[in-house]
Amino acid sequence: MRATRTDRSNDHTNDTENNQHREFDKMFMIVKKHLLAASVSVTALLPIGAMAQEAVFVLGTNEVGIPSYNLLTAVNTNSVYPMIYDNLVAQDDDLSFHPYLAESWEEAPDGMSWVFHLKSGVTFHNGKPFTSADVAKFIEMFRSTESSYMVDAIASVETPDDLTVKFIMKNPDPNILYNFASSFMGIPDPDAVTALGDDYGITEAVGTGPFKLESFTLGQETVVVRNDDYAWGSSLSANQGPAKLARITFREIPEDSTAFLELKSGGVEALLALPTDYLAEIATDATLAVAKIPGQELYYMPINVTKEPFTDIRVRQAAALAINQPEILANVFSNYGAVANNFLISALPESKIDPALTISYDAAKSNALLDEAGWTMGADGIREKDGQKLSVALWTQNDSIFRRLTEVVQAELKAVGFDAQIQTFDSSTIRDQYKTGEHQLAVRSYFWNNADIVDWFFGADRLGYPNVSMFNDPKAEELRAKAMTGSKTSEERVANFTAYHAYVTSQFPYAPIYQPEQNMAFNKDRLDMPAEINGTSITGVVMVDVGVKE
Amino acid sequence: MLDYILRRVLLLVPVFLAVSVIIFLILHLIPGDPVDNLLRVGSNAEARARIEAKYGLDRPLVVQYGIWLANLVQGDLGSSIITRRPVSTMIAQVLPNSLMLGGFALLFSTIFGVIFGVIAATWRDRWPDQMLMGGVLLGSTLPSFWLGLLLILTFSVQLGWFPVSGARGWESLVLPVLTIGLGGMALVARVTRVAMVEAAGRDFVLLLHAKGLSPTHIRLRHVLRHAMIPVVTILALRIGWVLGGAVTVEYVFARPGLGLTLIKALGQHDYPVVQACLLMLAIAVMLGTLLGDILQALMDPRVRSALT
Repeated sequence: MRATRTDRSNDHTNDTENNQHREFDKMFMIVKKHLLAASVSVTALLPIGAMAQEAVFVLGTNEVGIPSYNLLTAVNTNSVYPMIYDNLVAQDDDLSFHPYLAESWEEAPDGMSWVFHLKSGVTFHNGKPFTSADVAKFIEMFRSTESSYMVDAIASVETPDDLTVKFIMKNPDPNILYNFASSFMGIPDPDAVTALGDDYGITEAVGTGPFKLESFTLGQETVVVRNDDYAWGSSLSANQGPAKLARITFREIPEDSTAFLELKSGGVEALLALPTDYLAEIATDATLAVAKIPGQELYYMPINVTKEPFTDIRVRQAAALAINQPEILANVFSNYGAVANNFLISALPESKIDPALTISYDAAKSNALLDEAGWTMGADGIREKDGQKLSVALWTQNDSIFRRLTEVVQAELKAVGFDAQIQTFDSSTIRDQYKTGEHQLAVRSYFWNNADIVDWFFGADRLGYPNVSMFNDPKAEELRAKAMTGSKTSEERVANFTAYHAYVTSQFPYAPIYQPEQNMAFNKDRLDMPAEINGTSITGVVMVDVGVKE
Repeated sequence: MLDYILRRVLLLVPVFLAVSVIIFLILHLIPGDPVDNLLRVGSNAEARARIEAKYGLDRPLVVQYGIWLANLVQGDLGSSIITRRPVSTMIAQVLPNSLMLGGFALLFSTIFGVIFGVIAATWRDRWPDQMLMGGVLLGSTLPSFWLGLLLILTFSVQLGWFPVSGARGWESLVLPVLTIGLGGMALVARVTRVAMVEAAGRDFVLLLHAKGLSPTHIRLRHVLRHAMIPVVTILALRIGWVLGGAVTVEYVFARPGLGLTLIKALGQHDYPVVQACLLMLAIAVMLGTLLGDILQALMDPRVRSALT
């Protein structure tokens, strides 16, 4: 799924894509509910269905329109990438790392080199054996991509023998395991990439993954077939041999009502991303089931620390404490997902900051802070100070979910005496608007499952966007530098990022709101899903264990 | 007549130039600097200058337009920023889908619209008229995305006759064509009915009746011919609309096409693709109007004589 910083720089793009379906969603919302409720159970009407060992999956709406399966030119990846390409390491849903193409690895105590031992007997889809030379070539090719920052810390690659790769580092980078596990760093056959040129990734794609690319039609569908030679599955998969499914079609459907109706009518076996609106509908259908995938999204309210009255930390804290996360979870998101009390999704160890620093709803304290800051309650329920009303601009995007959420946030701010005026922007222009620095509060969300998102959204060199909070704090910058480049080991990195994250949170440049869950919906009469999903999304590691019921 | 067609085609040149200026300027009129969207966040001024030079954005606007237009007339629509493929290839891939959908929808609206219009005019103010016009009112007011979902629910989910979505085979074309075609059919039926009723009241019809021709013959051979002139105009204007207006339908039925490509490109700030899609739609409208004018001239001697 969404998985690198390049992606992050495009998070706005993803937002926009989501918007489209959200916008349509809004239009359908009322109608849809009645229509779907009225539609009878269609079990009896299922067409003859997929042939043995074949399945049709629908990609999430934010994955529609991938231009190619060449990760050396990719700006975004989709869920089909990890079917075709294997990674050096695999990441589990608890975010721990496990052997994949690499059997084992060692990091030098000073973090200045890494040695990876590759599995033997691995071959590419074209029959060529996979060796350390391929890894070395791939890393060099990767340096000219949009995502090159992922290998920036690697100074050179040595290949002592065919199955050993040694990375000599410029500076320690414990995050390299995360990068190697990312869908952007699945390893293709570098020679095939060079040989095929512009056609690579469109007519052919050569990896070592459990599935081979059969055909790809832009904006429509991708068909993959089983790699029968596959014998190097990750230890996270129950099945290390060839996948159970012989053939998978991944369809692209931009409108989720349509995708849902395809699932309901038996036209497809599964939807890789199901909007929460449909969870209740799925529960009433005996043939459908939901598999939970670790969430990566977090909703929050950035607070512009350079704009009055938010230059006063007490007012920032008051605004943050006014957000009633449990109420939002219950009323806006029907209790699906979880509240957010800091900037990172709960699965990340760096999210475990001192509980005293986490931000939870506390209206009494919010009111007390505003009183202390000199903002006194006026007769109309709006606070005042020196004849000035506590009136602030609250920006949001025009997707329906953001508008709905922002209206609730507005009411919650009103309850403690803020007069928040909502300004709605088109989601494709709001990023440009942030760069003017005129905003005070905003409601937005991001998709990411690594602590370096704190650096992305609060780094002083990215004021306006992505640093919507315009946060520029010397102590934070110090902690940030330490976290980004000064960590030798993973433990150190976790500690450094936790400290950085905790400090940023203590300055209230944002208010956390909500973390949604991700759901995959499938037809349980047809598809045999593993009980647990051992991955950060439905990757090749998960897919090898998916079968069809005869 | 040939002279007329030639003049009409030549007239398209200034229109095309005006349209191309507007489409070109869209890139510069929408808020935000396009370069910002091409640059990675945190890039330095040097990187910005490099991007500007690469896309020719550092030159005066007039020069930029000149280069763009020169490439355009040679069929070079540039390269997509996101997919890094020639825009012309991308358009060529989706255009047949759009044309097929639009073409069939137009055909459907024409045939059924005219038939229903004739029936309604024949039994004017009686039950067939009232029933058809009631249906037509419904057809012309239902939003296409909603109609699309209703059709999916009925014909795909309940009856299982057609696939829910996709662009594989003729089965998948039926529901999208119906969705777009029903709106157009309603329009054509109304225009046909009104034009027929109006033409039936003319003196020449009275004369034909006096000559003793059968009412059916008069209606279909003479009245309908007159009534077709406004219908053809309406249909010609709809050509562009059908291509562009299919966006929601492409969306609902997950059919790749021009509209979906445009929406996607807008969201991704992929300007060359946006420009190319808009250009295609503008050309479709222009050609539609041209076709309408020519057909009208062919059908109506009065138009022809007014031209010479």
